[in-house]
Amino acid sequence: EATMGPAARQLVEEHKLDAATIKGTGKGGRVTKEDVLTHLREAPKAT
Amino acid sequence: MSDYDVVVIGSGPGGYVAAIKAAQLGLSTACVEEWLDDDGKVRLGGTCLNVGCIPSKALLDSSQKFVEAKEHLGVHGITVKSAEMDVPAMLARKNKIVDQLTGGISGLFKHNGVTPIQGRGKVLAGAKVEVTDREGKVSILDAGNVIIAAGSVPIAIGPAPIDNDCIVDSTGALEFTEVPTRLGVIGAGVIGLELGSVWARLGAEVVMLEALDELLPMMDSQVAKEAGKIFRKQNLDIRLGARVTGTEVKDGKVSVTFTAGGEEHVEVFDKLIVSVGRRPRTEDLLATDCGVTLDERGFIYVNDYCATEAPHVYAVGDVVRGLMLAHKGSEEGVMVAERIAGKPAQVNYDCIPSVIYTHPEVAAVGKTEQQLKSDGISYKAGVFPFAASGRAMAANDTDGIVKILADKETDRVLGCHIVGPSAADLVQQVVIAMEFGASSEDLALTVFAHPTLSETVHEAALAVNGHAIHIANRKQRK
Repeated sequence: EATMGPAARQLVEEHKLDAATIKGTGKGGRVTKEDVLTHLREAPKAT
Repeated sequence: MSDYDVVVIGSGPGGYVAAIKAAQLGLSTACVEEWLDDDGKVRLGGTCLNVGCIPSKALLDSSQKFVEAKEHLGVHGITVKSAEMDVPAMLARKNKIVDQLTGGISGLFKHNGVTPIQGRGKVLAGAKVEVTDREGKVSILDAGNVIIAAGSVPIAIGPAPIDNDCIVDSTGALEFTEVPTRLGVIGAGVIGLELGSVWARLGAEVVMLEALDELLPMMDSQVAKEAGKIFRKQNLDIRLGARVTGTEVKDGKVSVTFTAGGEEHVEVFDKLIVSVGRRPRTEDLLATDCGVTLDERGFIYVNDYCATEAPHVYAVGDVVRGLMLAHKGSEEGVMVAERIAGKPAQVNYDCIPSVIYTHPEVAAVGKTEQQLKSDGISYKAGVFPFAASGRAMAANDTDGIVKILADKETDRVLGCHIVGPSAADLVQQVVIAMEFGASSEDLALTVFAHPTLSETVHEAALAVNGHAIHIANRKQRK
């Protein structure tokens, strides 16, 4: 399971994403808000 | 076979931490220190513990309590008939703390199996260290690895030579046995502001002469301006753009000549502190053929991992590039010890907090607004004043602001700048957030206890996106 900060968690919830598919660049592979935004930009309609 | 796996030169925060870490990693370690006690024993701890961070903080705390007793307790309904400061008692308390902490390092060395060696260390070719002890006896240690942590010394200036009586450096300013009636301070940097504050609180009339036209240019300019206003309210007479041209000591007074605004001025003081900066201590430290090189500013040249040009020789702390801060030196010491032991350690130089321990404190991490502008990075800023904090009001300590800067696109926190009560502890929360790549929204979505000063960090983070609760948010620019 991906470790996330609160802002990333909220974005994942909002966009109904699968956190496991997002590449985390934070400390210890953590998924940052930045990572979720990048993921959304690169796969905008991946539902 | 080497005498030791690691020989550390210097026992300040860079050196002693490196030595303890190396010993913990199973390396046989010695630490060479030239500083002697009054009773001729080796004195560990370096500048920070003996004549820097710790003694200055002890005096800052004592003098702040005096100001509170004299000026700030009335608002709580407390009458103090006559608060008086016994300066020798204040100094004795400071000295006791220094003794406890330096003795503590001796204990830690013993516990971890680090061998302290008294003497002046010099790096020779082939990772050897020459040690000259107090009697002038020379011995040579064969080291598997050398860590240079020789530190820094105050910069002397021609127009104001130190006489350790009327004209002193930061070390002498920690030892005044009475409060000077008029005190001059050359240099309104971190050290000057802290030492000026100590003696101003105890009643000295303090004039600070700063050559630059701007106060604290390395700090965020909004926070620096706010801090300047607060310091001036505390009777620090800060003169910017004042260049000292000469001094004359006569009958126990020092007259200082300086130019400011195109005119020549003279001020007469009982004591003058010269605190214009510090420089790396490299005299008689490096044999000409040892392979260690200096950069153009006189610091030992090292790469990102504190390796010098000579194999198996590293250098950390004030003697190398970067901020001259104890925690920076210590973290470099840890990194080097770990890398010697084969671990891939690194220091995150983008996340080193810096603090001025005035009251209120000034603290910062990351980029300033002017840096972001000059780097062409688009950003958002959130500012929250302590005047709107319930906790600060209860504490009767409402001067200052918290400012958080975040990237406009990604919302990643890029910097935090604070002048205000407990700024050092507040900024540390943002240091942790930045280490985890936090966005300002991450801080905004975190629960902060009420009422606490930490809530000002929360509100500043909320303010970044115009969502602060307890202030009128500035209209967002589209």
